[in-house]
Amino acid sequence: MEATATGVQKLLEIPPASAIALEMTAEHYFDAVQGILDVFAPQKKLDAVYVTATIPSKSIIGALTTLEVDLTRTRFVDCVSRMTMGASERDDRAVYVESPTMLETVLLKVEFLLRKLGGAEAVVVLDSINSLAIHNSPRVLSEFLLMLTNHLRARGAYTFIFSMEEYASEEIANILNLVTDDVVRFEGP
Amino acid sequence: MGSSESAAGRNRCLTGIDGLDNILYGGLPRNNAILVTGSCGTGKTSMSLEFLLHGAEEGEMGIFVAATEPPEKLKENMMPYDFYDPQMLEKKQILFIDLHELYKKAKTEAPEIDQKGSEALIKAIVGAVRSHGAKRLVIDSITSICARLLTADLIREFIRGLSHALAQEGCTALLIAEVPAGEHRYSPYGVEEAVVDGVILLGNLERQGDLLRTLQVVKMRGTTHSRAKYILDLTSVGVLLAPLLKGGG
Repeated sequence: MEATATGVQKLLEIPPASAIALEMTAEHYFDAVQGILDVFAPQKKLDAVYVTATIPSKSIIGALTTLEVDLTRTRFVDCVSRMTMGASERDDRAVYVESPTMLETVLLKVEFLLRKLGGAEAVVVLDSINSLAIHNSPRVLSEFLLMLTNHLRARGAYTFIFSMEEYASEEIANILNLVTDDVVRFEGP
Repeated sequence: MGSSESAAGRNRCLTGIDGLDNILYGGLPRNNAILVTGSCGTGKTSMSLEFLLHGAEEGEMGIFVAATEPPEKLKENMMPYDFYDPQMLEKKQILFIDLHELYKKAKTEAPEIDQKGSEALIKAIVGAVRSHGAKRLVIDSITSICARLLTADLIREFIRGLSHALAQEGCTALLIAEVPAGEHRYSPYGVEEAVVDGVILLGNLERQGDLLRTLQVVKMRGTTHSRAKYILDLTSVGVLLAPLLKGGG
């Protein structure tokens, strides 16, 4: 699947229940996080669930808070902090998964947060397939993503799966082609 | 009647646990007695409390017969649920009965229960169900009763008699069985699973150093059902289930 270049405004044209692979370089990583949580979700009046397997939720929350991003309708599934023994300070906006190998638990935590947020339309961000690929085999990762995207499609939710170009591989490209509706190259706000 | 036909036709008792009702294609067949079995910490009591809470939401009175934990502690365990309403207890939509009260009523307080005592205990349990109009019953645990019954035959007859009598009352029951950790069997005495209408097996799965809770419906008379293993999470919105990833080893 050929990736088309886009920014946040273009993402707003994506229809509900879509699963999109968002390819980006590290340079545009934070633009993508902010773009989805500060522009995409509020404009579409969506709850947001952010699954982080890359950096602790505390770091993301801290950075977004500094930028005065409203996180009232955003919750985090943190797959990093427990693994690194760094979740002694818990944040009410985050639930913690002990390890990024517990993929079924990630599914359950996403569902839990969507229910806790009140069942409105939602966007789920998975950050990132590259980080999950460090801990999981391509086979189980494909199975997990297929289950997650289909579950969220059935709910009418948007799914964005981050893929970092610096860590791209043919295997990851194949998985993304299989589980997503489109692969989009994110090139800034 | 084929099993799929009976699944469509038979009246269902929704557990309110979405994942489980989906696995059972619409809930437990009403009036069944189901063995909920597993080792400690697998979620048997939590799941059963949720079964009663959702029943109360639907206007179905439920009784929890407690042998292993004091009723006060069980009530506290209900409070974190988002769908818990104190009025459910105040209005006696859910009633906790200490098993020892039923032993007293049946005059079966001695450590061993014979045939006569077994029949009296069934009468006491069913009497409580009838007098409160209960549509849902949890016995936590049936193992503690079985431990007092003298032979495997008595255990078989007790569970069969109780199941039959509860069905006559229009009551759907969860009978909790405690299995020692690490043992691959459905019940401590080996006869319970043969007599009941269904078996829900809760367990722990260790994978790459992670400990996951699992649920599997092993048997359910009167309905088709998934026999796959699911991962279970106990949350304040209730039990959540996700299919076990097959590539996960």
